[in-house]
This record gives sequence, C-alpha cells and structure tokens, in this order.
Amino acid sequence: MRAEDICQLVLRACKAQGVNDVVVSVAESEGSMVRFSNNEITVVDTLMDTTASIFVNDNGRRAGTNVADLSKKGLEAASRKVVEMAKRAPAATTYAPLPQGPFTYDPKLLDSREVPSDPRSLVGFVKEAIDAARREGAERVAGSLVADNGRYTLQTSAGAFAVARKSAIELSLRAFCAEDASGHSVSVAGSKEDFKPAQAGEEAGRMAKLSLGPAEGEPGEYEAVLGPLVFADLVNQYARSASAFMVEAGLSFLTDKLGQRVASEAISLTDDPTMEGTYGASPFDAEGLPTRRNPVIEGGVLKTYLHNSSTAKKFGVATTANAGLVAPRPFNLVVGEGQRPLEEMISSVQKGIYVSNNWYLRYQNYQTGEFSTIPRDAMFLIEGGKLTRPIKELRISDNLLRMLSATKELSKERKWVRWWEVEIPTLSPSALISGVRFTKSKR
Amino acid sequence: MEDHLEFVISLALAQGASYAEARYQSDYSESNLLKNGEPEVASFETKKGIAFRAIVNGGLGFGASNQMNKRELRSLVRKVVASAKQAGRMNKVPVVMGQGELGQAKVDIRPRVSFDAVGLDGRLDLLQEADRAALEAAEAAGVKLPGRYLALDTLMTEKVIINSDGAKVYSKVPRVALDMFLTAFDPEKGSIQRMLNLGESSGWEGAERWDVPELLKAEVRSLASVLLKSEAAKEELGDVVLGPEVVGIVSHESSGHPGEADRIMGREAAQAGETYLKRDSLGMKVGSEVVNVVEDPTLPRSFGFYLFDDEGVRARRRYLIKEGRINEFLHNRETAHAMGGQSNASARSVAFNREPIVRMANTFVEPGDLSFDELIEGVAYGTYIKNFMEWNIDDRRFNQRYVGLEAFRIEDGELRGRLRNPVLEITTPGLWSAVDAVGKDLRFNAAYCGKGDPMQAIPVWTGGPHIRLRNVKLGGSG
Repeated sequence: MRAEDICQLVLRACKAQGVNDVVVSVAESEGSMVRFSNNEITVVDTLMDTTASIFVNDNGRRAGTNVADLSKKGLEAASRKVVEMAKRAPAATTYAPLPQGPFTYDPKLLDSREVPSDPRSLVGFVKEAIDAARREGAERVAGSLVADNGRYTLQTSAGAFAVARKSAIELSLRAFCAEDASGHSVSVAGSKEDFKPAQAGEEAGRMAKLSLGPAEGEPGEYEAVLGPLVFADLVNQYARSASAFMVEAGLSFLTDKLGQRVASEAISLTDDPTMEGTYGASPFDAEGLPTRRNPVIEGGVLKTYLHNSSTAKKFGVATTANAGLVAPRPFNLVVGEGQRPLEEMISSVQKGIYVSNNWYLRYQNYQTGEFSTIPRDAMFLIEGGKLTRPIKELRISDNLLRMLSATKELSKERKWVRWWEVEIPTLSPSALISGVRFTKSKR
Repeated sequence: MEDHLEFVISLALAQGASYAEARYQSDYSESNLLKNGEPEVASFETKKGIAFRAIVNGGLGFGASNQMNKRELRSLVRKVVASAKQAGRMNKVPVVMGQGELGQAKVDIRPRVSFDAVGLDGRLDLLQEADRAALEAAEAAGVKLPGRYLALDTLMTEKVIINSDGAKVYSKVPRVALDMFLTAFDPEKGSIQRMLNLGESSGWEGAERWDVPELLKAEVRSLASVLLKSEAAKEELGDVVLGPEVVGIVSHESSGHPGEADRIMGREAAQAGETYLKRDSLGMKVGSEVVNVVEDPTLPRSFGFYLFDDEGVRARRRYLIKEGRINEFLHNRETAHAMGGQSNASARSVAFNREPIVRMANTFVEPGDLSFDELIEGVAYGTYIKNFMEWNIDDRRFNQRYVGLEAFRIEDGELRGRLRNPVLEITTPGLWSAVDAVGKDLRFNAAYCGKGDPMQAIPVWTGGPHIRLRNVKLGGSG
C-alpha cells in the first residue's frame, strides 16, 4: 500500500470511531552503515524499514502507536486499538486541538537530493577517510559512516498533508597513533557535496599525531578552549533543557529562566530546521506545522522554550512548531559565530587547556546544571598562547549555567557536529571559557 | 516463520556465503508515563522483522527488514551479500565465526500474571497510587516534590534464531520495567534529584512484587533527609562502604565493559571506546583477593535474562574477575575466533534491525559472608555511600567518578550524621584493590546499557552486596 493510502485508511478508521484529532505519518527509509576498525571494514549494514505512526487525541485523552504490519487488516486493527486506548486513558488537564491546516511548506525542504548509499560508494568514502588519517600519521582508524535516503508522509485530521524526501550522510571517525594518542572528527551533511570524508580523516589523524606522549594533567581551574565537538555537546544540553516537556519534568536547568541571562552575551543559539540542505533540516513538525527558525538564546538571554501545541497551551504561548507528539524537541541547532579565528583565540590564553572531544556527560542535578564529562582524544596544555604539551586523564566537573555564562568568546570557524555523544546536529564554534574546573582520579 | 528464515539462509549460501544467520524478532511493548501526576500519551508498539547476517569472502554483512514477504527478503539477501563481498575486498583479516555450544531449543517464560489481565486502568492505577504516596511522604517529611516522572513499560520479546552452523532457538520472554525520576525541593536548601530503574523478566507479578507506592514513600523520605539533614562532604581519607546500587554500577562499568572482547579488539573504538585490558590480560591482578565479579545471563527473573544468545550459543555464568584477577572476557563467536577461544554467549541485539554485538546481561559482585553491620563495625572513620546520582567513566574504563546521593558518616563502627555529595573519583585497579570485605546481601537494580552504532540500549541488571574499601580518598561537594 502507498504511504498516502495508509494515511487515508488510518484517518478514516480513527475518525469513524469518533476521535477528533488524528496524526498519521509513514516513514520509508533505506539506510546503509559501514562500521570500520583497525583500518578494515567491520560490517556493512543494510536497513530497510517502513513504519506507520498513529497518534490520536480525544479531548485530551491521548494515545499513540507505531505499526509495522501495513496490511489493511493490520492498520485497521492498530487504529481500533489506539483509539480504544485513548478512550480509556484519563484526560490531560489541558487539551489543545491540532493546528488547523492546510499548510504550505517550503518546497526546498520537501525534496532533498539523494546521497549515495550503495556499499561500493560507502566503502570508497571510508577508504578515503582512513587513507587521509594514515597520511597524517595515524596507525589505526575506527568509525562509522551512515547514509540514509528516506521518504516521510504525514497527514492530520486537521487538514495538514505533506510528503518529504530526506537524505543525510555522516561520518564519525577516530584515529590512533598510540593507545593514549587519538583524534576524533566528523563530517555531517545533508548532501553529497557537503560531505568531506578525507577532510575528517585528515583532521582526526593530525590530532592523533599531535597528542603523542601525553603527560598526566593536573587538576584545577583553567581557562579552557573547547573544540566544536565539546561545545556542541554543551549546547545540546541547553537545547534539550529548553524543551517544555523537560522543564515540566524537572529535567531542565532552564526552569523559570525565560527572559533571563543563562549564558554570556557571546552566545546566541537558534533551532533552525529551515536551513536547506543541512542534516537536521525538516519542513514540518510532528503535528504537521511548517517548521520555523526559533532563536532560543539571544545575546545570552533565554528567549523561548520549545513547544508543541499541548505544552504551548499549558504555558499560555504559541507553539514553536517543535512537536514531538509527547515531547517537543529541537531539530537543527546553530550557534552564532564569534569574531576571531580559533588560533587568535588560543593565542590570548596564557595558561589553559584545549579539549578537542568529550563523552559521558552525566548530571548530578538537572535543575541546577551540576555535571561532569570526560575529555577524550587530543587534549593539550596551552601556555603563552600556544598548544605546548598533550595531556590526559582529566575530567570536567562543573556547572553548565556557570560555564556558558563564563564563555568569553566563540571562534569564527564553525563545524557541523553530530556523533555518538551529540545527538542533535549542531553548527558549533570553539569556545573560550574561564575557570573551568578539571578534576582527576585520586588513586 | 522458520520457513522464511531457512529461505534467506539457503539463498545466501547459494550466493556464496560461507556463513548465514537469520533472526526473527518481535518486540511488543506498552508504555505509560505519569508526569507530575498527569498521564502523558499512552502508547503501544510492535517492532518486528527479520535480521540477517552473512559472511562472504571474509567480509561481514548485516541487514534487516520489517517487510517479511519473499520478494523483500530476496532483495535483502542480495544487498547483504553484495555488502559483505565489498567489505571482504578491503579486509586483510577475514571475519570467521568461532566455536560455541550452539543450541536447538525452546525457551518460553510464561508470565504468572499476564500483562493483558492488567490493562491500561491497572497500569495507571498503580502509577497514580505511587504518585499520591510520594506526595504524602513529601508532605510528612516537609519537602516539596515539584518533579515526579514515573514510566511503566511492559514488553514481550519473541525470537527465532537459525544459522547455517546448525543453531535453531526459539525464545519468548516477558519484561516489566519502571523508571522513576524525582525532584525534591526545599526553599532554603534547594533541590535534589533521584533516578531509579527497576526491571525484570517476568509478567505483571514483577510490578506487584516491587510494591511501588511503598518504594516511592521510602525514596521520598530518603531524599528529604538528604536535602534537609545532610552536611556537605569534604575531601578526606578514610574507609568507604558502598551500597549494592553503587557496587552494581561499579561492576558494570569497571569490570563488565572493560572485559568486552570487541572493545579489546578496537571494534567499538570510535563510539563506546576501548578498554585498559589487552588480549593478554587474562590472569592480571586488578583487585584484592576477595573480589569476584560475575556475569550471568541465566539468572531467573533477571532483566538481562536469556538462555541462548542471539547467535544461538548456550548461555552460562562467567567469572570476569576471580579472586582479584581478570578471569574471562565476554565473547561472541567472531571475537572468540579472533582471540582463540570459544564464545561464551555474549551476543545480544536490542531489536530485529540491530546487529548482535558483545553485551553484558547481569553483572554483579559475588556475595561474601559479612552482614552490613559487620562491615560498618569494622570502620573507625569513613563514609557509607548508599546510592548515587552522577557517574561516569572514561572510554578506557580506567578513571571513574561516582557522586553519592544518600551517604552517611561512619565513626567508631556506627553510622552517625548524613553527608551530601561525597565524590569517589578513582581508577579501576585503585577501586578493586581497596576492597577488603564483601557483604552477603546481594541486590540488583535494572539499567539500560548503551553501546553500539546505531545505539542499542539493552536491559541489564547491575548488582552486588555491600562492600568495604580501605583508605580511599574522597572528594567533597560534587
């Protein structure tokens, strides 16, 4: 059955049972992944998936399901069950009807060009990246390359209807010169033209080489320059915390901070799914509303939470078109660029630490922003404005609100980041931050 | 379904595969979420499809589809075989499936109380009763509870695994899980948070056994005490007693993960990382002689339960650390061959569209014979860390940090005042080597372990009894 027919069938079946609001979407995706390690191919994955999602809202009684059985019988049974579940569910205190369509969507966002996803091309890209890293001195390289071409169809009972083609390709790789000398880089793109595997390999290889023979770092407070991978992770925390769902659940350090300063003046953060050709571009949200550019932080001040219709009504504001049917979510984050190149920024630091990558960020308290995370891959001491020595085995144990408020400046260069640690695609600069607290194991 | 699996295997072999494996997996789940007393979207989902792996010319291909007609499966096999060939062309070292005790078996865990018998009303009643109990406990204790997040999931997983080496295993396992997140608040003291996961492989009887309302009351009372009565911990040297919840996460992070053979081989290097252990680390001393860390998928009711792994290999108990020495790694068939051993059934995959990779199941410190009181009595000056909130560990699994949530001062063999946020930031051998005594009160918590790319959050138990560490330097105030 065609996706459009699936939407029609489910809408009819749910409405026949007297439900006012129904959203049906069908995701048809064909993706490939190449995983590699020790300069060889570990496995090539082929993933073919077609899934329909149904959401119903019966005056605040809400239920949802994903359906893999796309036969007429399977879809009718799922429609029946999801409506039954909604009718038995207690009503939420706030009912917001679906946004009334029809809507007009940006045609450039509806139709992205396919990226190569055949194994020969993908293995070729991987080879390019590995070779580039090894030319820089890497002994071994590991990582993953994912290419996906999908088609998404959405229809709502409120008159929204759209079909979007979405393609994306991303490479994440780590190069090693020794067990404790490594570099990490990514190439994240919405088109083949913007995909640069060799550049990513070269960067990872160069960082690995520079980090050979690291000394143990000394704990303390330092001026820190955080590379784009690290700063993107911190910015992801802000964007997650800006979801109205997280605010309500007690999982946000941005609670009660609308209109207040939550970062330094140097920082502006926008969720922008309207950027054509980028990885996280999206023409519509999960309620069928055309997406928009939402400034979240401007000059360090929190401008908005991210909303779907339900959370917007609860907070007494308009939706920001960030649905998520359960939780509003950011799509595609953009941090405003700084004034100076990274090199000049580093040259202003007399004694500090450069951190190229991090992982395993965990909170002590989501409401206050106390957290820690672990630098991994290349990390250097900065002395007299220069990277002087590679160091290792430190942890950043600090507070997110404090760190972004103590951000002195951002670099002019920015990079699209998304990898295992950074879920939301983010155009991120490097950041110079005062008084970052580094700790270390005591035994 | 077996016909379909046999069909794809024979197709692959005919197209030149030296090994082929097909798995049908169906995961049916129902989820309910209560946020601050209000029900969020109720949901159910069936994820089902066929996963398929083949080795061709030494290259490994994996594919999956949720469209299970023969036309689609032919296309899937063609693509996977082509991918495997492409991978094989670039590889100098061929992928080979090693030895393992392959099964031909049926595992059917029957719920005592079926999930269907409970229905939506029963699930929400439980969550709402627990929420009310938490609010009552907070009022009695004199704190607010502005953040209450209770998520209840029931799952039924059905698998059929067949491979060209003769394995044929059917399994059906129910699971029930409860995730809680609480925020307690006092206008003068600020806020404090608690995350707790319960889970087991059983029917609804598991949720009944937890007595969630009473559990929530106890958790809220504890949070209130930490918030209102604890003093900030300071940096100091002393003995430390760790509670089962902390011992569980330590076992998982500092023994389970470093012992995964795919990490040792560098297969996870760009994602979950590597390990401080090497191929030749078996026998290496990493802890005191009283430390025994066990990995056991076969524990009845455990959240990580299975009797055959996703390569069809029979599961058994593994000793990762025995008397303080590295004793065994976790292997699938591929890593077992590469390192010259046998698979110990560690291949798991979280859904039909995910590759089976080396995973933990239920990781814990084996109990000793001391009671909690005996452990505490042996401490002149120290800290008891009962549970934790913040934690992390580096990607070589060597430097870790656990920040205590409920914690107590120990003086002259007795618990005295409460401490807030003591920090245990320590190396892996440093931690295991400091253990001088192990309690007998084995307990487990549930967790979802994250690994793989795409990410596979897989159910596990982490656990242990209380353990005592001597002369450890703690940090303070988080």
